[in-house]
Amino acid sequence: MSEYIVEMKNITKRFPGVVANDDITIQIKKGEIYSILGENGAGKSTLMSMLFGMYEPDQGEIWIRGEKVNIKSPNQATKLNIGMVHQHFKLVRNYTVTENIILGIEPIKRYGGLFPYVNLNQAAKDIAKLSKRYGLEVDPNKKIEDINVSLQQRVEIIKMLYREAEILIFDEPTAVLTPQEVEFLLKIIEELRNGGKTIILITHKLEEVKKVADRCAILNKGRLVSVLDVKDTSTKTMANLMVGREVSFEVAKKPSTFGEVVLKVENLWIRNQDNFDIVKGVSFNIRKGEIFAIAGVSGNGQIEIADAIAGLRKISQGNIYLNGKNIKDLTIRDRIEMGISYIPEDRQDVGLILDFSLAENLSLKDYYKKPFNENGFLNRKVINDYGAQLIEKYDIRSGQGIKTQVRSMSGGNQQKAIIGREIELESSLMIFVQPTRGLDIGAIENIQKMILEERDKGKAILLISLELDEIMSISDTIGVIYNGEILKIQATQSLSINEVGEFMMGVKYDD
Amino acid sequence: METIIIDGLSFGLPLFIMAIGGIYSERSGIINLAIEGLQGFGAFFGSLSIILVGHFFDIPLQKLFYLALLLSMFGGMLFSTLHGLLCIKFKANQVISGVVINILSMALTIFLTTQINSIVFGAMSDKFRIGTSNRFTIEFLAKIPIVGAAFKNIYPFQVVILIIAVFAAYVLNKTRFGLRLRACGDNPHSVDAAGVEVSRIQYLAVMISGALSGLGGISFAYSISTNFSPAIYMGYGYLAIAALIFGNWKVLPTFGACLLFGFARSGGYYIAQLLKMPSTFSDLIMILPYVLTLLLLIFFSKANHPPRALGEIYDKGKR
Repeated sequence: MSEYIVEMKNITKRFPGVVANDDITIQIKKGEIYSILGENGAGKSTLMSMLFGMYEPDQGEIWIRGEKVNIKSPNQATKLNIGMVHQHFKLVRNYTVTENIILGIEPIKRYGGLFPYVNLNQAAKDIAKLSKRYGLEVDPNKKIEDINVSLQQRVEIIKMLYREAEILIFDEPTAVLTPQEVEFLLKIIEELRNGGKTIILITHKLEEVKKVADRCAILNKGRLVSVLDVKDTSTKTMANLMVGREVSFEVAKKPSTFGEVVLKVENLWIRNQDNFDIVKGVSFNIRKGEIFAIAGVSGNGQIEIADAIAGLRKISQGNIYLNGKNIKDLTIRDRIEMGISYIPEDRQDVGLILDFSLAENLSLKDYYKKPFNENGFLNRKVINDYGAQLIEKYDIRSGQGIKTQVRSMSGGNQQKAIIGREIELESSLMIFVQPTRGLDIGAIENIQKMILEERDKGKAILLISLELDEIMSISDTIGVIYNGEILKIQATQSLSINEVGEFMMGVKYDD
Repeated sequence: METIIIDGLSFGLPLFIMAIGGIYSERSGIINLAIEGLQGFGAFFGSLSIILVGHFFDIPLQKLFYLALLLSMFGGMLFSTLHGLLCIKFKANQVISGVVINILSMALTIFLTTQINSIVFGAMSDKFRIGTSNRFTIEFLAKIPIVGAAFKNIYPFQVVILIIAVFAAYVLNKTRFGLRLRACGDNPHSVDAAGVEVSRIQYLAVMISGALSGLGGISFAYSISTNFSPAIYMGYGYLAIAALIFGNWKVLPTFGACLLFGFARSGGYYIAQLLKMPSTFSDLIMILPYVLTLLLLIFFSKANHPPRALGEIYDKGKR
């Protein structure tokens, strides 16, 4: 028997227009934590999806426990004791934890030896036992929609264990967790390894790899760059290999000088569609030259605050002042003209019109004004010239310049287009919601630099991000939101990442 | 009072069984607006079969009652595979597929009915006469005041419907198949990841829906008109959809909604008689269930939670 439990040999997988995996060979030992490291689009998930039977490789072989296998479906993968926690959980939201875990392998009992039914009671007991054994406490009778993301992830893990998986694949498991939850998860992963399981960890976060992984394979643009022993390698080396060039971690940030207050939010209350208060009495100020970041776990009301300021959402109480004027009853366009730029969370749905050309998208906020619009007719020449000018100025890369359909552009360049467009509005307030979400390291660097430049020009900036690292490195002031309330507003340099993490979990200090 | 209950049940129960079919389809994630067409086609298929059998083997139609029910279910199921194919295999828009099937069913069955009547029986008619169904009374229960009316003048199909309904509720809520089916309507990806073929479950759900619609259709044919005719496309299929929506895609509340519709209809007739309205006004009374639908829509729409993945075209590759 081979010393490797998983061997993927010379795997190639093509999708229309791209080679997602190009002749990749990896070998994974039993009982190790093996990390697959790479940027978005490097082909990590594709590679592991093939191991889990969701795609089949175009070329190459997969060997499990020294035997060549042909994994055609997740079912077959499960039979080979391979389990996977997907990035987007595969859970039925209105089912209980138990129902979700047993789905597909339901234990059956019969009424009077005749009519079969799913034996939920027995299953719930088994699951309670299993979750205790691995320290993955969760109430088997709770519904998925009533438990938080971190518990949902536990359910996914228990699901694998219930199926007696030996090879556990985690696809970007920490993307949705708070720092404390991440630590807990990494501990669980280590314990599973110590219990004899083999772990494959797909991630683009270097600290995690450094913390728990034994070995790591680095992918770049579909190719295997290197396989490294993690303990002999520095984070810096891994980052450079991953990006394919030198990366600087430090964001060059000048000391800040604050001017007068630009945005003043006073006792803001917002209700969601179920008439539930999602933002409860939030107040804060943002000054010229200040980056004010709202930190918080997703779904605590931060997005709603940004939407309310931009005018996309009604408020139920409170006041919003921009440069001293109350804007709470103004339309979105009025607010834009008063000086608000908005970079929305969902760049593809809210920020852009994907089927329009790049030039059209770049003039989305000006098209109705002169000279873009003359007597009700669009002036194509002006729109195109303006587009070309912005493409040049903000280094927006695309296949066919101004004519490019925005849908075909990369996420990073789509984001650059939006930010460029919004900067050109010369607004006094810029709202950034998750500006770097889903982008790779290179693009993130770029966009963070742009945000800092705007700050240095004297703009007030509201930054909403789920990436705590990002908030810590670029913001001047942090407001931590929990359950619709801002628990803490403090200068960034006087806070540690752990303190912020604790506030994000709702821990209040009595000071 | 008695007639309201008796007629209300004989109308409400066929509605209920069609609505259960709809619940199966929709909880597996497939919108089924085709119930109207499926019940018509089912009734057509059942009626045609028994008059042919009766004609060629010289059997009185009354004896073929249960055969008619069975074959109507088969006919409805057969026609529903078309909806399944369009929605699941060809990933068509489910609303459009449903509407198209309704139009197709109506045109096709009317055409075939007149053609078969003239070719086989040499008659100019757009109806298949299928005879009346026997009705029976459970004597000792019928004596109970008020409620007893529920046990008077029962059509046999009502009993069949109740038995099937109980069984359908059990399958949906207790069995492995039911668990997987309901999961498909919420998050088909989870079902796929659990190693279960989503499309297989959805096909079965749509076919069950077709069969139960067929049963409902033939029941209407027996109770309302003693024949199959274009009059069967009265919109009862849509009413069943309304009932299952008010019932929040759950069997028991849907039963309540169907009874409500049934009693609204029979009560309306009763009022029309009471007021000695001319018969032309009875058409006006017929709109009562639909008016009720409109009113209920206003009050119930907010509290309703359709299956999360309802109408979503399931694409395995998409994550």
